[in-house]
Parts: sequence; C-alpha cells; structure tokens
Amino acid sequence: MAENVTTARQTPGALGAYVKNVSNTAKSFWEGMSVTLSYMFRKPITTQYPDRVPVPVRDTIPPRYRGFLEVDMDICTACQACERACPIAVINIDILKGDGKTTPKLRMERFDIDIGKCMYCGLCVEPCPTGAIQHTREFEGAVMHFNNLTLRFVPDPLVPAVPYKPPKGSDSFPRKSLGEITRQLIAAWDAPPPPFPTKEQLEGDKGAAHGKPKPAGLDPTAMGRQLAAKALQVKEDKPKLAKVFEEAMAGTDCGDCGYADCKGYSEGLASGKDFSSEKCAPGGADSKAMLETILVSLKSGKLPEAPAAEAPAAEAPPPAEATAPAAAPAPDADAEAKPPSTPGDPGPLR
Amino acid sequence: MQGWIDSLIRGWGRDPASWPWTQLVYLAFMGLFAFLVINFAAITAGIFSWAERRVAARIQSRVGPNRVGPGGFLQWVADAVKLLTKEDLVPAEADKVLFRAAPYFMMVGFACVFVALPFSHRLVIADMNLGIFFILAVTALIVVGIIMSGWSSNSKWSLFGAIRSAAQIISYEIPAGMALMIPVLLAGTLSTQGIIRAQGGWPWQWFVFDNPATFAAFFIYFISALAEGNRTPFDLPEAESELVSGYNTEYSGMRFSYFFLVEWGNMWVMSALATTMFLGGWQIPGISAAQLDAMTGGRAAAFELLSLAIFAGKTLFWVFVVMWLRWTLPRIRVDQMMNMCWKYLVPVSFAAVLFVAGWMLLVRAAPAVGTVTHWVMFLAAGVLPTGFFVHRVLRNIRDTGDRFDFTSNW
Repeated sequence: MAENVTTARQTPGALGAYVKNVSNTAKSFWEGMSVTLSYMFRKPITTQYPDRVPVPVRDTIPPRYRGFLEVDMDICTACQACERACPIAVINIDILKGDGKTTPKLRMERFDIDIGKCMYCGLCVEPCPTGAIQHTREFEGAVMHFNNLTLRFVPDPLVPAVPYKPPKGSDSFPRKSLGEITRQLIAAWDAPPPPFPTKEQLEGDKGAAHGKPKPAGLDPTAMGRQLAAKALQVKEDKPKLAKVFEEAMAGTDCGDCGYADCKGYSEGLASGKDFSSEKCAPGGADSKAMLETILVSLKSGKLPEAPAAEAPAAEAPPPAEATAPAAAPAPDADAEAKPPSTPGDPGPLR
Repeated sequence: MQGWIDSLIRGWGRDPASWPWTQLVYLAFMGLFAFLVINFAAITAGIFSWAERRVAARIQSRVGPNRVGPGGFLQWVADAVKLLTKEDLVPAEADKVLFRAAPYFMMVGFACVFVALPFSHRLVIADMNLGIFFILAVTALIVVGIIMSGWSSNSKWSLFGAIRSAAQIISYEIPAGMALMIPVLLAGTLSTQGIIRAQGGWPWQWFVFDNPATFAAFFIYFISALAEGNRTPFDLPEAESELVSGYNTEYSGMRFSYFFLVEWGNMWVMSALATTMFLGGWQIPGISAAQLDAMTGGRAAAFELLSLAIFAGKTLFWVFVVMWLRWTLPRIRVDQMMNMCWKYLVPVSFAAVLFVAGWMLLVRAAPAVGTVTHWVMFLAAGVLPTGFFVHRVLRNIRDTGDRFDFTSNW
C-alpha cells in the first residue's frame, strides 16, 4: 500500500487517484480502528449512578451545588425574608401572632417549601439573616406521590415553631450540619400520601379556607390603641417611646426595614426622622396598622376614635387580620401583607 | 448428516436402503435439526445483541447493560420477552397478508444458510456438493422479505428503505460471489467441508495467505458481506436520520424481533462463511483432516469438540470485528456505497479471479513458488500488520496517559 501512495503522488491522474482512494480507505480503517480498540481496553469514564459508586453521588457534587432547600428551624427568626425573596412563591410561612406576654409574639405554624416547584435560583438564601435556609446537595426528587415533594419544616401546625432571637451583634449562628434535616424529610417520602379529605371535611373547611382564623390571635386595633395610649404618656422620653414602637414590631431583627435591627427602626420613628409605618415586613399588616395608630395619635395628640370611624380617615388597612385584596392599593408593595398562601399550597385540599 | 443417520439405522439392525421407515426417520431428524439450528441462530443472535451493546459501550467509554444476570448477560432474554409480549400491530392501509408474511421470508432465507454451513469436522447438517452455491441462492430470499416488508407496509419510509436495501444487496452479491469463487477455484469444489479440507490448520496454509489476490478477495468478501447484512457502514436501509427505521418501520413486537434476529444472526453467518472460505475453518493446527477422519471413540469426540471450538473462536473473532467496525465508521452515502461496489470491488474481484486462475497454472508448473508465497504472505500481510496494529493500539492508550484496564467497572 505504501508504495502505491508514492506512485500516486508521482504520477497524478485517473489511475493514481484510484489507487490513492484505496490506500486512503485502508489507512483510515487502520487509524480509526486502532483508536476505537484502544478505547475498548480502557476503563469506562462513566459511573454507575445510584448504587455502584464508591461514595454517594451527593458527596461528589461541588459544595455550592444548589440542591433541595433546607431550613434549620432552631435558628430561623421568622423574618420571612426568604418567602418575600422567592420569585415563584415556593416558600409558604404561616405566622401565628401572640401578645408577647402569655404567648410568644410570633410563632410559625407552617414553613413549607415546595421542592416540586422550586427553580433553585438561590434568591431565598441570600437575605436570610442567620443562614437558616440553605441549599443542600440533595437532588433525588423521585417520589411515589407528588404531595410528598413539599418539605414541611414545621411538621405539626399545632406545635408552632418559636423564632430564634439572635444574640445582639453575633455573626455566626449554631446551625445543624447541612443536609441532615432535609435528608430526614426525604426519608419520609416513601411513606403513603396523606389521606384524601372526605366530603364532610371539605364542606366543613370551606368557610375556614378564606378567613383563616388564627387561634390565640391578637387584635391589632385594640393593641394599637393600648400602645398609642402608652406612647402619649411617654411622648417626651425618646428611649421609652422607642420601646413602645418596638413593641408594635415583629422583633425579628431581620433588617428588612433598612435599619440594623428593630431598635434602629423604632428609634428612627421615635426621633421623628422616619414617618413610614410600612417598613416592618415580618410584622405585616398588623404591625403597619399598630405603628400607624401610634404615629397618628402622636401627631394629633389624642387617642383615635372608635375603629369604625378611624379607618377611612387615616387610610389605615381594615382592622383585624387584613387580607391582601383590601390592602392592595397601598403603594409600597414590599411591606404589604402578603396574600394568604393558598396558591402555592400543595397540601390536602382545604 | 445422512451418513450418520444411515449408520444409526444400521445400528438398529435395519438396512436403510430397503427399510420402509427410512424416509420417516429422515423426516424426524430433519425436524430435529431444523429445530436445533433455528434455536442456535436465535440464541446466538440474542447473545450478539447483548455483546454488541457491551462492545459499543466500552468503545464509547461507557459501561453498557450490566444489571440483568452476571455482567448483564441475560439482557437479551429480557429484551426478547419484552418484544414477544408487545402488541403485533398491522397498519390499517397495509397489505396485510404480505405484511404478515415478510418476516418469515427473512427467517427462511437466514435459517436455510445453516443447512450448508459447517460447525466442526463432522458437524454439518448437509455437506452438499453445491454448498456455496446453495448459500448464495437462499441468501437472496432475504431480499424478497425486505422488499415485501417495505412495499406492504404502505409507508414511504419503509419503501425507501426496502429499495435501498434491495439495490445494495443485489449490487454487492456480485463482488461477494466473485470473491467466494476464488477459494472454490483453489479447492476445486463448491462443498463447504471440501473447501475447509483443502486448507490446513496453520495460518500460512489458509487460503487468505495463499497469494495476494486471495488476500484482497478476503477483504472484498468481508466488505460485501457487511453490505449484504445491512451492517454499518452500509446500514443505509435503516438510516434513522432519513428513514425512521427503514423497511421495518411499521413492525412491532414479535415480527419486528424477527428482523433483528436475522440482522444479528447474519453476523454469525457472514463470519462463519469467511472462516470457512478463507481462514481454514475447523482445521486443527498440526492435525490433518485425514487423521481426524481415522479417529474413533472418545479421542474422536475430544478432537471434534476442539475443531468446533476453533471454528467458533475464529467466527466469534470476526463477529467482534463486525461490531468493532460498526462503532468505528460513520454511515456512507448512497452514491459512495454504489461507487465502492461498482468502481472498486467489482473490478478488483474480477481481476483477482483471473489472477488466481493464472497463479494456479504457475504453481502447478513450479510448486516451490506457492510454498514461498504462503510464507511471505503470512509474514508480510498477517504477522507484520498485526504486530504494528497491536503496537499502535497500545501507543494510543499510553499516549493519553491511560492504562490497559479491562477488569474494573463492569
């Protein structure tokens, strides 16, 4: 063959080209087949994914991989920053409010993350003040029942989680090792699905689905009047006035208002530098209403009248458990009460 | 096998020529052999389907099917069960009788080849004096099956595939037939067993190293056989990018599996034929066919098995080469396929036949030329290229910093 190639080069022409084609064919077979055979005798580069791997695949993924989300409820401050950051309403947090004396001020009766809907953008991780919400390296989302894809970090709504109060000035928080909690929840995925509600249950829950009455809830109007009265008494004493303002807030020190903590915001309000009642996001509509009551009464120098007459004048949101449609016209959407989280609720029909 | 059955009848104390039940015994054994041969073909085709997937995987740095049974070996059983339990769909607009019949034509054309194909020194269903002619003739039945399936499906993809396949098989019959004529010339017989007996056990006694023309003829036959079996790089009839799946597009379930059975079984047929015609068949190195004939009892059985192993080993090696080629070469175009046949293989095969005819006259006049040429061809065309090739493969592995590793990650 080699001699033929030389001949073809020396005397180009029909016969030379013919012979050259043959020798080219032989050469390309030679080259190609030696390459493929050499690959056949090497170790395959693929890994045999779920089981025949030396270490779990999860542990071979880069540490910053954005897998399933995980919330450590022990260091969650209930600031709801993640819920607001989520562009597609994957996170659902239900806050239960107390008066701060007989019951804690805020408790979380629900903290659900719908993994089936999550797009793993990581926007919820960034605003978290304590690092409670994090991406794990878990990624295996094959489930027998779609409902199981919702990770419920408050397993029982009747035992609400108490928010974490971070020590002042601390920048590290005692987080459980990443992945432990989510792995436990995933382990329960193979459990049978929650039972489908009976017709009676559906009928019975129909009314409750809209109003969402909270057991042991607080009355923001009444409490707002109490605080306003207190504020009028200590009108001249700025630090004490700030304390009164702080009582109307959620107290999570989330920093969403733009101040370092709740103390900063309340001092701003008390000193008259800040007039906005809408900045406390975790407190939602309740805090907004209470702060507004206090501010209005400080300005006018007297307690507001009966709630019914008060509301239209001050353009305050409707009293008692304001719902989103009613509060919607307010311009600052960031501080708005968020709609009741039914759209993303993958749980049993309610 | 007729002689063996006759001796069996004589063993019962009857004379096969006059005993009235002789024909019935023949018929019973025909049924038995047909059953054995078809099952052999089906099982080897199944095993090849697994082997091909493992070979393909290794060549592509993958692992391949390895979950069903040891090393995934039972994968083909799982696939067969799946195919057999699927619904046998017939398109509404199809010619239903032909559509249903076509796979059986394929099966018949494929299974009939085994009648004349040897397995070992004594094991051949019928050692016909027309063996090669018979094999070439019944193989043509496959074209009928392909055209039938393509036309009766009433689908343009099936028809295109069938026409391509028919054009390809009919074109490549010519170089394949001419190349097979060369061992026939050298051996002076069309019988497959006769051709193997005309060769020897050692590689330099094989027809492939007989002279330069036989060496070329071996490759011409191999390339043509690839094309006739619709194997890559000649799998134009099944070009999935253009024709969905070719002539078997509309088939499902068991009938579909027949097409694939034939395709994979054909790898055995073409490799066994190459072994028979050019590579010394079942000949055991150092033991002549006459010595094998003279053996009796357990010794004969042992050497029979050895000859079977040698034949199967050579055949399986070429089956592996067919798979290896499939995962090396891209599919060629229709015009390239036709060019290759009519401009290269056909003229060269005719020239080779003429050359061998002249060569035989020369060797008869001067026998020393033939002996010297055997050795020169064996060393120059057999040993040297193999050595260079092994060196090249090892260098390919070494140059990438990898190492030879065939045991881990199965």
